[in-house]
Amino acid sequence: MAPRQKIERHTVEFTGSGGEYFRVWIVNVLLNVVTLGLYTPFARRRKAQYFYSHTFVADSPLEFIGKQRKMVFGFLAFAGLYVAYEIAVRTGQDTASSLLFFGFALLLPWLWGSAMRFRLASTRWRGVRLAFTASWKEVYLASWPVFAIAAVWTAAFILIDPMMGSAAPAAKDAPAFAPKAPELIWPVVAMGAVALVLTLLCVIRLEYNYRRLLVARARIGGQAGRWKPVYGDFVRVWLATVGMFLLCLLAIGLALAAGSALVGRGWGRIEGPIGAVLAVLVVGIGVVLTAVLASLPARAYREARMFQLVWNNVGFSHIARSKTDLRTGAYVWLRVRNALLTLLTLGFYRPFAVATEYAAKVGSVTLWIKGGTDQLAGQLVEQQGAFGDAAADALGLDLIG
Amino acid sequence: MGPASLQARWFDGRSSRARPVALQLWPSPGGPELRLQALDGRCEHLAFRHGDVGWPERWSAGRAPPSVMVDLGRAGSLQIDDPAAWQAALALAGRKPPLAERMQTRLTVLLAVLVVAAVAVAAFYRWGTPWAAAQLTRLVPMRWEQALGTQALAQIDENYVKPSQLAPARQAELRQQFDRLAAEARRQPPPYRHYQPELKLLFRSGMPANAFALPGGTIVMTDAMVARAAREPGTGDTALMGVLAHEIGHVEYRHTTRLLVEQGVLQAGLGLALGDVSSLISSGSALLTGLSYQRRHETQSDCYAVQLMHAAHLPTAPMADLLLAIDRDPRSKGTDSPGAPASAAPAASSASAAAPASLTHPGRSVDWLNTHPDTAGRAQRIKAGEALDCG
Repeated sequence: MAPRQKIERHTVEFTGSGGEYFRVWIVNVLLNVVTLGLYTPFARRRKAQYFYSHTFVADSPLEFIGKQRKMVFGFLAFAGLYVAYEIAVRTGQDTASSLLFFGFALLLPWLWGSAMRFRLASTRWRGVRLAFTASWKEVYLASWPVFAIAAVWTAAFILIDPMMGSAAPAAKDAPAFAPKAPELIWPVVAMGAVALVLTLLCVIRLEYNYRRLLVARARIGGQAGRWKPVYGDFVRVWLATVGMFLLCLLAIGLALAAGSALVGRGWGRIEGPIGAVLAVLVVGIGVVLTAVLASLPARAYREARMFQLVWNNVGFSHIARSKTDLRTGAYVWLRVRNALLTLLTLGFYRPFAVATEYAAKVGSVTLWIKGGTDQLAGQLVEQQGAFGDAAADALGLDLIG
Repeated sequence: MGPASLQARWFDGRSSRARPVALQLWPSPGGPELRLQALDGRCEHLAFRHGDVGWPERWSAGRAPPSVMVDLGRAGSLQIDDPAAWQAALALAGRKPPLAERMQTRLTVLLAVLVVAAVAVAAFYRWGTPWAAAQLTRLVPMRWEQALGTQALAQIDENYVKPSQLAPARQAELRQQFDRLAAEARRQPPPYRHYQPELKLLFRSGMPANAFALPGGTIVMTDAMVARAAREPGTGDTALMGVLAHEIGHVEYRHTTRLLVEQGVLQAGLGLALGDVSSLISSGSALLTGLSYQRRHETQSDCYAVQLMHAAHLPTAPMADLLLAIDRDPRSKGTDSPGAPASAAPAASSASAAAPASLTHPGRSVDWLNTHPDTAGRAQRIKAGEALDCG
């Protein structure tokens, strides 16, 4: 019988601070301004290095060792393509712009996979690098929901289109998207609802597939990642999120109704074009704020629950398991407070927000390691260009977070 | 006798086991070099040139993390558990920290870069974008502008205006005067070399007094404008020619194309530079600078109009009076004509080079707050036959 190996508990700790990261960030912003944005890949690497070097796993910090040269090339390639796309759109070259757009959509899975390869291969702990070993076939198979969403909406439009009245010039006053006959309203609405629900299910499936693939095909020192959650777990989190969003919407709607009843009497006095402009501005800002505020707690809730779901159910082969004690309520409150402060400071609170949210998540994780931290064997990790990483960053898939 | 040794833990990349090492930093012309000696009895010696080491950045002057990692590339990583001693040894070995590191550890450097950034932003706004827009506009073919103009006119005809009610004879009369003006314009040196599109005048009704230039050389004037000039004492057809000269200026300077390019340059540049602060700041500053460029276009067209009217031996005072009259009249401001585009109606104070551009952004009703301010001042300068800032 093999000797029983001791299981040790190791905390994960973030030793950085919001104030310190503010300095790092403001330096990035200033250098970006001076270089008209060309500093972006350098800024991203510095940000990653700040967070990695202050993240201690079992008393050793993580290292971000992505090559600066690759990140610059990735950034320039992506920026070039983006500029080409913008020029094509702005100058009305429809063929070129839609070709670029669809090419980009087809490339999405590849971009994601390549970004993950770059990011995992750029992460090192105690001299051993992580690796993302999924094949391109696996990545594209896991991406089936992307294409399913496209199919759902194509089908919906093919079905709905004949029911819609064409926007004839004679009926200019009628809304352009009115069905030809009133009895067709319900089928159209129902079809839209079905398409929406299917889309949401596909989005959840995509998130599940990608997270699963990322963990299951992650390697460190010859040890494979382990993944336990099932699709149903993800659906439950999303359902709770949707419920949370509807509750927030209701609460904000009631508050707004009460507020406008109070303020409404004062409005009538401002008239003329200034009043109209003000009204448009107020309504516009109100709509945007409502959308952001109503969805913010729900988004924070989803993030916290997903984090718990993932970090309580993953590990590395038989040697490591992770646990998190992230508290949902506290995290939602932190996100709401950070968002409000960021809004009030016109964005200058953002570094503090990023640092505190990162600290809350990372600091909640504990690792249980069997057999000690010395047992990992270094392996050759395939190098990956940074184009996908730059694209993923531009699409909002941040390196840190 | 070399520099003092530091103790460190070396992860050689072959396993996650730490190996005790002694390290030394030696000064060299390119920056400090690093030498390692394994202390676990395997007697390994390693030397790294300055460029082969990923030197960890110092994030703050006061505080250091409990440990720092030095990237040795293929040779793994070096964990140093005494960052203070490491920094001291680095300083002794003559390391020059990069600019970013000096900015975050020294306030004076940060403030100096702040000043440079402010100057850079001002220069970018004052010269950078206009220069870039001029270069990019040169590359835009006239064919494309004409296609855009045709498209915009079709859109305007469909949604905002009706055919002109002016008698054909009256139209012909005005067009004849316009053609003389256009011929005079052709004798002027064009602002963009080889850019001389055919200038064409069209009349439309159903909008308040207004005139606008479409890209590619088509100029539209409303019946209300013609009627207004006939009604207002001291204005007449000469005033209309002044307004049309202003519109010819928009065509010759290719202001629509320039505006599109400028907005693109601004959005891309400011988005990259300030996007990480907040999209509110980056898009807000893009909007405001875009408006100020539009103001500059108006001034440029005024200058052009004054110049062209002089060349055609026509007085500029009637045009100024017409502008003032339209500006004074409350009916021409605001939204008195249903169906008129929000940005075209208030632009009654003469022209909007960006008419097609505005049509693609319906709801930009704040335009007139910014693009045509100070009509009285403008009119005065035009009247005096000079326009400020002509250069």
